[in-house]
Amino acid sequence: MGSRALLVLTNFKFKSSSAYSSSKPFYLIKSSPTIRKFSTKTRSSLQPPDVPRLAETARISLAPNEVEEFAPKIRQVIDWFGQLQAVDLDSVEPAIRADTEGDNLREDVPETFENKEALIAYVPSYEEPYIKVPKVLNKE
Amino acid sequence: MASTLFRTIQIHPFLLYPTAICRRRNGVLYCTMKSTQTQTATQEKQQPPKVKVSQHTRSKTLEKITRDYEAIIGIETHVQLLTLTKAFCSCPYNYGCQPNTSICPICMGLPGALPVLNSKVIEFAVKLGLALNCKLSLNSKFDRKQYFYPDLPKGYQISQFDIPIATGGYIDLDLPLEFGGGHRKFGITRVHMEEDAGKLLHSGNGDYSQVDLNRAGVPLLEIVSEPDMRTGIEAAEYAAELQRVVRYLGVSNGNMQEGSLRCDVNVSIRPVGQSEFGTKVEIKNLNSFSSINRAIDFEIARQVSLHSQGHGDQIVQETRLWEEGAQKTVTMRKKEGLADYRYFPEPDLPEVILTQEYVDGIHNSLPELPEMKRRRYEKMGLSMQDVLFLANDVNVAEYFDATISRGADFKLAANWIMGDIAAYMKNEKLSIKEIKLMPEELVELIASIKSGTISGKIGKEILFELLAKGGTVKGLIEEKDLVQIVDPVEIAKMVDKVLSENPKQLEQYRGGKTKLQGFFAGQVMRISKGKANPGLLNKILLEKLNVKS
Repeated sequence: MGSRALLVLTNFKFKSSSAYSSSKPFYLIKSSPTIRKFSTKTRSSLQPPDVPRLAETARISLAPNEVEEFAPKIRQVIDWFGQLQAVDLDSVEPAIRADTEGDNLREDVPETFENKEALIAYVPSYEEPYIKVPKVLNKE
Repeated sequence: MASTLFRTIQIHPFLLYPTAICRRRNGVLYCTMKSTQTQTATQEKQQPPKVKVSQHTRSKTLEKITRDYEAIIGIETHVQLLTLTKAFCSCPYNYGCQPNTSICPICMGLPGALPVLNSKVIEFAVKLGLALNCKLSLNSKFDRKQYFYPDLPKGYQISQFDIPIATGGYIDLDLPLEFGGGHRKFGITRVHMEEDAGKLLHSGNGDYSQVDLNRAGVPLLEIVSEPDMRTGIEAAEYAAELQRVVRYLGVSNGNMQEGSLRCDVNVSIRPVGQSEFGTKVEIKNLNSFSSINRAIDFEIARQVSLHSQGHGDQIVQETRLWEEGAQKTVTMRKKEGLADYRYFPEPDLPEVILTQEYVDGIHNSLPELPEMKRRRYEKMGLSMQDVLFLANDVNVAEYFDATISRGADFKLAANWIMGDIAAYMKNEKLSIKEIKLMPEELVELIASIKSGTISGKIGKEILFELLAKGGTVKGLIEEKDLVQIVDPVEIAKMVDKVLSENPKQLEQYRGGKTKLQGFFAGQVMRISKGKANPGLLNKILLEKLNVKS
């Protein structure tokens, strides 16, 4: 569970160090005020992670002692990635993606996945032919 | 003919619930927009007595709106693509197939499953981007948009955020004549690729919901307009033009009833002269062009009424639902700040790279688009009514083009298609692709009438025969011996016969009752089995009738 939050953070951190340091406006930063704290260029200004809010956005419930436990761990990961901030990128063209191999595309040819029974068997609550979920009416 | 179509439709709104009409409309008519629009037009203009009360208050509000207020309307449209497979996996997608059958680990969001982009999605996005006069991003990427909802198994939607594939375009359209006509150009902010979510059904009584993941991962293009529209009609026409464009391009079936084309509309108002925008309200659940039109006009009236009574603060940023039955918008949810989607670049997908060569190739293969067709038809000298009718449906336009490319007279071909052929298709509930009359036979028919081989009346009979059974004009003329009689001697013989058989009428005619000419002409036509050339017949008849006077 906690690892999921970490994953989200690592992805962010990774991109922000490579691309967002340019003068190009990235709306991404504006819309994610929490994450922004970790995206600033100078390492020294990194704020401690707001773990309760991170947990909330990832739909994870954490007990107060877990929050205390995770905070330094997350901080560690951020600092680890934070080393990238030291790289001088002034003369580097910002990349929008990390890899450069180019397109990996698929032809529009249908293939039916054969083992559907196994997929359905994994569904926690299934009532032929629908997946049963708790009643949710509003998206946000 | 177009007006006949309209006349039949206008009855519906007052007999049935509007929802029912919406559902029927598409099945019965092959030209959605035209009919939808006209239905609204009828409601507003042609049949005021039946909706007198609401009409009166409404027109009063509308008057006030146009005088004191300006409405600002922007539209987000989701178009479902006509690909055989989903966006990121090879699952086939067919509308209406058994729930949860077209699924795999990728579209179910199972751990470890990796998306691979369908090349057709890029092709269609480039097509639509070019058709909407956009600038294409040769390098773009996918992003994850996080939200938690059971119809989205991964917990995020793969979409495009800060670098959409196409930006900064525009769309041209012509307003229908019933709304005063006129040309409009509306800005397109962006077009981006994304995946659809599954379908969520809320059971009536139970405390649970049901999910069908067939639609999860189906490719969509989201088209965001500039806030350039000012009225419900403009917005509905914008949506209709988008539908035409995606159908012409073949990237989507554009069917609103199936949800292949979905419009979310943003409406705000401001007093005339004010430069800043008012609070915008989003309207959802618009599943026909006429509901877009009516929902917007309702919403404008609601906001103006609040504002003009000093309750402008009661216009809040929210999502409202259009209730077709009640013909009003109601609050669905209030927005408390922007949702935090925590976008970030999709790590499982590479950058989307387009080469200029690829783009140029698609550009060169684009079909003639609705706007170009309309302008071409207009230049040919067709009336705007004809132009809008013919260009509305890509299949009708292609049929028309097929006839004129074989040399048929433009106006005559247009008249036949919009008249008897359209009426036949409507009665038989057929599309133009399903009728048995081939374009080349329509050309032959028009030519045969023009050259005098057959009369117009017989032409019509042949037309209906060909529509129903197929075959060729030449074959039918021969088989039924329908060639027009143009030999004056032969016609003169028939005239003589009729005159000698009706001495009493002849006497009356010569006594001054000249109206009887019609009677004689009818008799001659009857014994010629309709084949006598009418001009020649009348000429000879008149000569013979007046010979002694």
